[in-house]
Amino acid sequence: MSASLYTTRRIKNVIAMVLSVIATGLGLFFLAWILWETLSQGASALKPQLFTKITAYREEGGLANAMIGSLILNFLGILIATPIGVAAGTWLAEYSRRSRLGPTIRFLNDILLSAPSIVLGLFVYTIVVLPSKYLSNGNVTFSGLAGGVALALIALPVIVRTTDEMLRLVPGTLREAALSLGVPQWKLTTQILIRSARSGIVTGVLLALARISGETAPLLFTAFGNTFTSLNPLTPMASLPQIIYEYTKDPSPDINTIAWAGAFVLTMFVLALSLIARFAFRSKVSHD
Amino acid sequence: MTNMNEVASRPGFGASPHASGVDLGQVPAKMTARDVNFYYGDFHALKNIAMDVPEKQVTAIIGPSGCGKSTLLRIFNRIYAIYPNLRATGEIILDGENILDPKYSLNRLRSKVGMVFQKPVPFPMTIFENVAYGIRHHEKLSRSEMENRVEQALRGAALWDEVKDKLKQSALGLSGGQQQRLCIARGIALKPEVLLLDEPTSALDPIATSRIEQLVEELKRDFTIVIVTHNMQQAARCSDMTAFMYMGELIEFDRTEKIFTKPDKKQTEDYITGRFG
Repeated sequence: MSASLYTTRRIKNVIAMVLSVIATGLGLFFLAWILWETLSQGASALKPQLFTKITAYREEGGLANAMIGSLILNFLGILIATPIGVAAGTWLAEYSRRSRLGPTIRFLNDILLSAPSIVLGLFVYTIVVLPSKYLSNGNVTFSGLAGGVALALIALPVIVRTTDEMLRLVPGTLREAALSLGVPQWKLTTQILIRSARSGIVTGVLLALARISGETAPLLFTAFGNTFTSLNPLTPMASLPQIIYEYTKDPSPDINTIAWAGAFVLTMFVLALSLIARFAFRSKVSHD
Repeated sequence: MTNMNEVASRPGFGASPHASGVDLGQVPAKMTARDVNFYYGDFHALKNIAMDVPEKQVTAIIGPSGCGKSTLLRIFNRIYAIYPNLRATGEIILDGENILDPKYSLNRLRSKVGMVFQKPVPFPMTIFENVAYGIRHHEKLSRSEMENRVEQALRGAALWDEVKDKLKQSALGLSGGQQQRLCIARGIALKPEVLLLDEPTSALDPIATSRIEQLVEELKRDFTIVIVTHNMQQAARCSDMTAFMYMGELIEFDRTEKIFTKPDKKQTEDYITGRFG
């Protein structure tokens, strides 16, 4: 190889490297900036009462009811979405092979994946919140349950997609090996394939959880909000994103500071979930 | 057709004239393919295959890539049926019954005809469970019976001494050669009558390969073996009968020493001597 060709390639290599390092740095820079901004703005509100007192006390209170509400809402959302999502993803990957329905459903799922969350909120408002009047003497009641359903609709397509993709990554030879032992399809699916793809599926669920824990719009018309702690999913519930949304609009600077602290807690929560998801995935790779 | 079925159901049918017209000597045929054609959608991949697989012998199938040798093997346990648009016609007789008949239970077929694949594919479970998994589906055994069966299978696959102290560990931690022997153990644990090996050593190093070849030699005492291989020396070393396939056709099927010393067909000779393929 001629020396000049080699030099040209080296220069191109350096340029490509520099550009990608800049791109990476830019991404990380904004992440760090967000964390720093939320931390510095909310620092004075980051004290124990943030986690112990409720929003009813306003400036003297904390976000305890919103955190508990968020945990319940996210839990409900994941609880509803996971079984349906894993089952649907399994069907897509393992059973839809011979039908044309599979690609169609995969496509519709992708549309649901990118549906605006406020639309999903309004949808749940009409199918869960409005009909509640028939159950409670004509009163339309917002509820944590309705919020959970709305969040489930957002988590569902994420879980369907990751389950589908993770199962399709399982090598076909594993299926052949099990089937050639005379093992029926359902045993193969539940005992071997899901097990092989387990960490990938768990990662998908965690990512869906990270995604829904930051959602505000679908909760506005469903869980609505509550200045007190509510553990009953049939009553309105507060949530972190919704309180942050309201507190940032508030004229009181102290309330704004609590919103910043809430934003910091929420960001750290999502970051932790993503790290756990990444960690779970990595432990799978080292297993092979 | 009725005539064939009558012949097929007669006891000792294997000793009757063979589909391929090849003299197997005193050895009865365990499996007989008659007029087998195979299609991948519109592609005609196997053309009028007729051959006898002799009982408790090793039959090798050789031929250049894409000649249909793996396809043929995959018809013997109907594993092709898991994919859409694949179709086989003709008959494959196993113990007097046509396994290509849709009424022939897959469950039964696969307990009689085991298969080992090109790449070792251990299940994501412990070593013990890998072997016990298939047995559990076909038979109800007590704990000690199951332990015996697993030990027997692992001994049969010449793996017992290496794994007896770590049966509870994940099978994914074994080396490639050990994993492949585990897959053989898993296959023979079901006590099949026929064992299909689809290029079982192509992903292994020479030492692991020679262990598997020795094993094939030992296994033929109990099982009828069909092995697809890319490696002609391997076919020459460990098989009794060799089938040479080319472009979806069975060109020549005869005793291994004859195929490798004085084949009848020119194409076979060209392939054996390395003139093409």
